Amino acid sequence: MHRRKFLSLLGGAGLASAMGVTKSQAASGHSFNGYPDAMGVLHDSTRCIGCRKCEEACYQVNDLPKPEKEFKDLTVLDTKRRTDAKTYTVVNKYNTAGLEHPIFRKQQCNHCMEPACASACFVKAFTKNSDGSVTYNGDLCVGCRYCMIACPFSVPTFEYDDAFDPLIQKCTMCHPRIQEGKLPGCVEICPKEALTFGRREDLLGIARDRIRKYPDRYVKHIYGEHEAGGTNWLYLSGVPHTELGQIEVGKTSAPELTSGALGAVPMVVGIWPVLLTGAYAISKRKEKIAQEEKAEAVRATRESAQEEAEAALKAAMDKATKDKAAAVEREVKKAVAEAEKAFEEKLAAAQAPAGEADTGAGESPEEEA
Amino acid sequence: MMKGRSLLRWAGLLIAVALVSVWGHEARSSKAAGDSAAGYADIITIDIVGEMGSTELPPVTYRHDLHTEAMKKLNKDCSACHKTQDDKMSLKFMRTEDGSVAEMKELYHSNCFACHAEQAAAGNNTGPQDGQCRSCHNPRPAANSEWKDVGMDKSLHYRHIAAKTIKVDGQDVNCAACHHVYDETAQKAVWKKNTEDSCRACHKNAPTPVVEGGEAMKPALNDAAHLACVTCHVSTATAGGDTGPVTCAGCHTDEAQKQYKVVAEVPRLERGQPDATLVTADNLKKATLPAVAFNHKLHEAALDNCRTCHHEGIATCTTCHTLAGKAEGNFVQLEQAMHSLKSQASCVGCHDTKKQDPSCAGCHSMMPASSASQQSCASCHNTTGFKPEELEGMSNDVKRAVADAIVAERPTAMPTFRDEDIPETVKIDALVDKYEASNMPHRKIVKTMIAAVADSRMAAGFHTDAATFCQGCHHNSPLSKTPPKCQSCHGKPFEPSKGDRPGLKAAYHQQCMGCHTAMKLEKPQATACADCHAERTN
Ligand code: SF4
Ligand code: SF4
Repeated sequence: MHRRKFLSLLGGAGLASAMGVTKSQAASGHSFNGYPDAMGVLHDSTRCIGCRKCEEACYQVNDLPKPEKEFKDLTVLDTKRRTDAKTYTVVNKYNTAGLEHPIFRKQQCNHCMEPACASACFVKAFTKNSDGSVTYNGDLCVGCRYCMIACPFSVPTFEYDDAFDPLIQKCTMCHPRIQEGKLPGCVEICPKEALTFGRREDLLGIARDRIRKYPDRYVKHIYGEHEAGGTNWLYLSGVPHTELGQIEVGKTSAPELTSGALGAVPMVVGIWPVLLTGAYAISKRKEKIAQEEKAEAVRATRESAQEEAEAALKAAMDKATKDKAAAVEREVKKAVAEAEKAFEEKLAAAQAPAGEADTGAGESPEEEA
Repeated sequence: MMKGRSLLRWAGLLIAVALVSVWGHEARSSKAAGDSAAGYADIITIDIVGEMGSTELPPVTYRHDLHTEAMKKLNKDCSACHKTQDDKMSLKFMRTEDGSVAEMKELYHSNCFACHAEQAAAGNNTGPQDGQCRSCHNPRPAANSEWKDVGMDKSLHYRHIAAKTIKVDGQDVNCAACHHVYDETAQKAVWKKNTEDSCRACHKNAPTPVVEGGEAMKPALNDAAHLACVTCHVSTATAGGDTGPVTCAGCHTDEAQKQYKVVAEVPRLERGQPDATLVTADNLKKATLPAVAFNHKLHEAALDNCRTCHHEGIATCTTCHTLAGKAEGNFVQLEQAMHSLKSQASCVGCHDTKKQDPSCAGCHSMMPASSASQQSCASCHNTTGFKPEELEGMSNDVKRAVADAIVAERPTAMPTFRDEDIPETVKIDALVDKYEASNMPHRKIVKTMIAAVADSRMAAGFHTDAATFCQGCHHNSPLSKTPPKCQSCHGKPFEPSKGDRPGLKAAYHQQCMGCHTAMKLEKPQATACADCHAERTN
């Protein structure tokens, strides 16, 4: 099913490129370094109360379809949700060990400084804007869904329901509103300023300040400062971020990793196989980025640990064999001693009524043993 | 290549699994094995050979309770396994002193096997026999230890002081039953009044010489405690007296500890300590702040034991903590010893954790760490009016008298404003949009919060001005009966010039909800908007 759709889309893409869309391609190994005055949002999960007002504001601002359950209905929080084509942001509830109250975290596109989605998109449907937002132009999209594979946070989602013109959908950081000098919808409505809007640089300062002033309240990590090359959406938390479903993605941005696979791709139909391999490489890499970086850091330790473990195993095996042998030996000795004793007794008994000794020899204990 | 290696490792693992299951079978076949994976306090790990050198087999996991029960059935007592020397039962098995590795091994093997064999011959359910090595030397015993530390708290200590069954010849107090110091002339441990200390002051983790360079050793804390407690309990019980536990589980389990009788009103300990004293620096010429009058009596009542402040041994603070720091005090300077936020033995460190109490946390959890002000220094370093040279020449008695006088001056209740000076309600209507104004019952909130700390001398001592308490909410403002309104500082959110200062709406919500959470108030819930301000209908 998907494959057929994909192939039909391929045809469309070929057509589009033949018609001169090639100009819009950009991929050239260039990586975004973050705009100096880029804005961002800091989510402080120690402040978030899980009211879902931000979800509601997002729905209003972006004219999204009405969800099944009202935004007031907080039972929705009892199940973990993810963003999709109709929901650009969700708030999830996390119960962590040792805390009496749950913790809430809002999630949406993180607006990476060097967006993997943009680097994977060969028609350049994604744009990293100078205000920090990463936006998407549906007119250019060919529906290949590479961006979905590339995004380390699994953000872009596809309008599977739309049979005619399915598009990728995701949070825009309210780019149009920012341009008008307004706050993103979610930030504006948040009753607790669990969301703080400002220049990314300033937000980092604010986040560090909060950690310094309230050392017991926060873990000393700003998620998004370095993750995936840095994101414009930043997070503070009172528990390790991994407990709030924030995966370890490593520090290297996806474009840096994928430039080999996807850089300098000319927009011609003939390079499809290259792109396919590229996409595969991205998806594989995505899984590996964090692992590789971590692995690098612990490799030395692990190697020595492995050697130690092997040595220990060997020693244990040797010792076990020795112990077992010793135990067996003792059992055998005991059995032999018992047999000898029995034999002696029998012998004595046999010898007592002299003359019957010969017949007794037939029941020699050696045979029994 | 990798494959070959990992195959080998797998093979190794499989063999290991196979071997373990063979031993596992042996262990299970033993009748004495405990219920599977159950937890017991009466579990002793016998690794005496391992402590001396390398062992051939894993240490023995020994269930002491099973053995005491068995002995009871056989009408035998502790002496079946424990020898007595100088009227004191040794806690070691069948000996009073440890021998060589070979001797120890032989001692355990011969005595254990002999008894087990004897019981087996008599047809009794008994432990492993010779040859069933792994039943005792089991690296994965079926039972695990639920052993829990036990401490001598104030109540338990008092019960020992008051116990009629503890009598010391020629004394009218019980102290000498446990407390002793080494007397050089008498060459033995004797009780000296007012030198009583924590056991840890002398008994360390390992045995230490009684006198420097001498041969006689003081037992390690673990041994000393068991020797003193268990032997006394056993002998008192044998004599038919009312006494404490004699089994491991009697002291070292949660359930047992929960059942201890707790004496609520423990009379003050008598050890010659002052009611109050002046904490003065070792070098008064270099001391920059007035000496602090310390209310010793009040702190005794508030704490569970002397160790909270005095560490292992009782001495005045400045014996070890000087302005410059010295080895005895781990080079922790006097200033650090009194103010370190990280230590529970320091004044500020301990007071800081007290702020986590829900009745304090409402305000204090909102305050940034280390926000000490001049005012907070003065709460303790309030002027004594004595110059360094005067303090220097002061005898301890005078110091105590001065401290007594200063402490007596301290407030016993927190100063507050009169009711009519506390606004009854505050209408929060600056932001009315989707919600109606909120009528905050200001006075009720203030009075409830004050009532929650009414009994606290600490609150009384540190909230020195009637307006100090108001600063929990009206923060960053000078002390005043009419502090600025929230709007005075909080306005539009995210104004770069105002840094991280929240906008008005968030300021309200953060303050109210933050305090409610910290005080563990269930209602109103943070998401129950209409509980504070009705939703607008038009
Ligand atoms: S989070 Fe994903 S979708 Fe958003 S900018 Fe980064 S890579 Fe693109
Ligand atoms: S609006 Fe603010 S407090 Fe409410 S769920 Fe969203 S981020 Fe959390």
